[in-house]
Amino acid sequence: MDLVTVNGLTKRYGGIVALSDATFSARAGEVHALLGENGAGKSTFIQILSGAVRHDGGSILIDGQDYRPANPDAAQARGIAAVFQELSLIPDLSVEQNIWFRHEPRTLLRTVNRGEMRRKTLALLEKYSFPTLRPDRELRRLTLAERQIVEIAKGLAKDPRIIILDEATSALPAREAEWLLKLTRQLAAEGRLVIFISHRMAEVRAIADRLTIFRNGATVAAHEANAVSDNEIVAQMIGRHLDRLYPERIPTATDRVALKVQGISSGSRLSGVEFALREGEVLGVGGLQGHGQRELFQALFGATRATGAVELWGKPVSIANPRQALTGRDGIALVPEDRRGQGLLLTKSVRENLTLSVIKRFTENGLLSRQKEAELVKEMVDFLRIKAGTPEQLAGTLSGGNQQKVIFGKMLLTQARILLLYDPTRGVDVGTKGEIFQLMRDLAAKGYAILFHSSDMPELVHVADRVMVMRNGRIAATLEGDHISEEEILRAAMLETRAA
Amino acid sequence: MSAFLARNRLIVLAYAGMVVLLLVTALFSPGFLSVSNMRSTVVLAAFVGIVALGQTFVIIGGGIDLSVPWVLNSAAIIMALLCGGQDVPLVWVTPLLLAGGAFIGLINGVGVARFGVPPIIMTLATNVILQGLILVLTGGSPTPSAPALIQFLSVGRIGGFPVIALIWLALTLVATLLLSKAAFGRHLYALGTSATVAEFSGVPTARTTILTYVASGLTAAFAGMLLTGYSGQAYLGMGDAYLFTSIAAVAIGGASILGGSGHYLGTVAGAMVLTILTGLLPALNLSSGALLIVYGAVILLTVSIGSEAFAGLGGRLRRN
Repeated sequence: MDLVTVNGLTKRYGGIVALSDATFSARAGEVHALLGENGAGKSTFIQILSGAVRHDGGSILIDGQDYRPANPDAAQARGIAAVFQELSLIPDLSVEQNIWFRHEPRTLLRTVNRGEMRRKTLALLEKYSFPTLRPDRELRRLTLAERQIVEIAKGLAKDPRIIILDEATSALPAREAEWLLKLTRQLAAEGRLVIFISHRMAEVRAIADRLTIFRNGATVAAHEANAVSDNEIVAQMIGRHLDRLYPERIPTATDRVALKVQGISSGSRLSGVEFALREGEVLGVGGLQGHGQRELFQALFGATRATGAVELWGKPVSIANPRQALTGRDGIALVPEDRRGQGLLLTKSVRENLTLSVIKRFTENGLLSRQKEAELVKEMVDFLRIKAGTPEQLAGTLSGGNQQKVIFGKMLLTQARILLLYDPTRGVDVGTKGEIFQLMRDLAAKGYAILFHSSDMPELVHVADRVMVMRNGRIAATLEGDHISEEEILRAAMLETRAA
Repeated sequence: MSAFLARNRLIVLAYAGMVVLLLVTALFSPGFLSVSNMRSTVVLAAFVGIVALGQTFVIIGGGIDLSVPWVLNSAAIIMALLCGGQDVPLVWVTPLLLAGGAFIGLINGVGVARFGVPPIIMTLATNVILQGLILVLTGGSPTPSAPALIQFLSVGRIGGFPVIALIWLALTLVATLLLSKAAFGRHLYALGTSATVAEFSGVPTARTTILTYVASGLTAAFAGMLLTGYSGQAYLGMGDAYLFTSIAAVAIGGASILGGSGHYLGTVAGAMVLTILTGLLPALNLSSGALLIVYGAVILLTVSIGSEAFAGLGGRLRRN
């Protein structure tokens, strides 16, 4: 009999459907991989299983019994523990205090039994051959990889029947990642169910007995791992998409180089990236999340420290901050990742947001001309079809799509002709998405040069003239013409990735 | 017009509060609305208002300036010492002191904007350091009296109007132009609303931050000189009251203490409210201890009405 059976699981956040029809079944004693693109619903699914989020519809059976945890404690009581990417540890406590947090062994007087805690910690670490960890070490002194290992120990300390590992290997160096894979087999051999999420196909291949594939909030397939090919898995992760959303792609790139980047590096996330973006071109930047795309965009905009050579329109420049990036027609503008945190003043009006970067242009003898400002604001509101009652409406009260248009408008007003668009359609309704793609192609036709990252692969495939795929802070491949496909992007992004 | 009222609801509220307070005070002490009494109220409010000018800029930008008392006190004492009761030295002492106040502001601003020192720590430290310097400088001995020209600026009249009220009016005009009619104002409100968004929009955030503290140093030093003229002498501790009143005037005037909103026109009403309050409370025949308690409580109440309105607005935005 299956240990876990899930049927028709649904979860909505306001108008957004995160999970529409998830089915899942897994047996005790197996390693079960969950696969899917970013946003496919994997995270929501495991958040429901671990009690962090409550589902709206459908059923979960564990041992044939209905399961609907009110909170993570209730999930733990039923033998489910999750190890998340976002670390849940307390920096000021020691390793062992973190592992047993809220489950400390007690003495008769209800004080913490330190001797017993130490014994249990050492026993746990030994049983699963953990890499060397000092139990009394303060957590803040540990590296990210070591913290991830403590997180795993904390999960195992609850002796769960079902353990969920969410991208647990992504923070680990090669040797520790190897260990984790062995540990996973050991846990399965003990009769536990391990639900394993990874973007590294090689790992999934190495340890999974079965796998379930998610797409757009629903389960699309479940397989025995040895009965399905990599290509089939990738095809099912992507599915078939309608492409009416996308404008016709007429090549408008000239030979003139707008942005030339040589050996740009930033910390450990970005190492030696080189490329040239041409006038009239939409250059896509793809790859799995967290492989240097954010750092690349922020470095080019001067929002992150970086080394390397950058040329704008043939002139070497050094950009130390966004203000230097936004210097008129020869500048470089960014539509940032975090709309609410980086892009918009939510408590200020559409007008104030639109003209913030260019407010100096409306001053005569140091005084603002409200009329000149109002004219340009109206022009931009009409051009982008921003749906606001009046330009005085507060930006925070607009819909996501209109908020994004305001940020576009602010950047277009700077007259910079090199645009960096970081996931500009995230959280934007389908209609506005179409408008944004059309706008991108129109701007390219006018001679703008656009660097475009999207977490949604089909957008790259259908909108970009070329696509650079990033992996571990480098350009892993640059795809052109007929070679631009989701399969090729995914292959470049993950297939050759080793646990390193 | 109604849009203007909606946008500036808290400022309008501050003026309404001022009027109500005036009427209540007149009820308890019938002579309060007399011309001479109103004149002295405005004069007293002007000192608070001038110190609070720079403070308004700093708070809109998301910071706070706690170095105000001893910048004020230092300017007062150094002026008295250097002038020795004569008008002529003012020619060079005035620019020197204003530059000195601006310089202290520059240090505060650079510490906050470039080195990331929290504003409370940075300005508290400069305040204490200045206090120490002045104690070393004077050894605690009293200073010569204020030059006659300064006394004229503080207590003199032109055509029946107190000179200092005219000065305050001029400064109000300048502050209003800077906040409402200059690029600096837009940058400042953006900075206080979200430093990150401002930075990503190309706003010169560091420069704007530094300028607010420079303005605060300038106005505090200027107020210190004028206050010496009012009291006739400079003395240790004369700036202490202005720490609380300068911040309270800004808050009563409708600014969020977290930055991003408010206006100097509101602060003007705030300074008036605080001053009328100090006139009302003695009329209630309270002991000086009870007076302080009521004073504090009234300010707490006024300010929390404003901040609750602000929190409600924030809550609505989050839900949308």
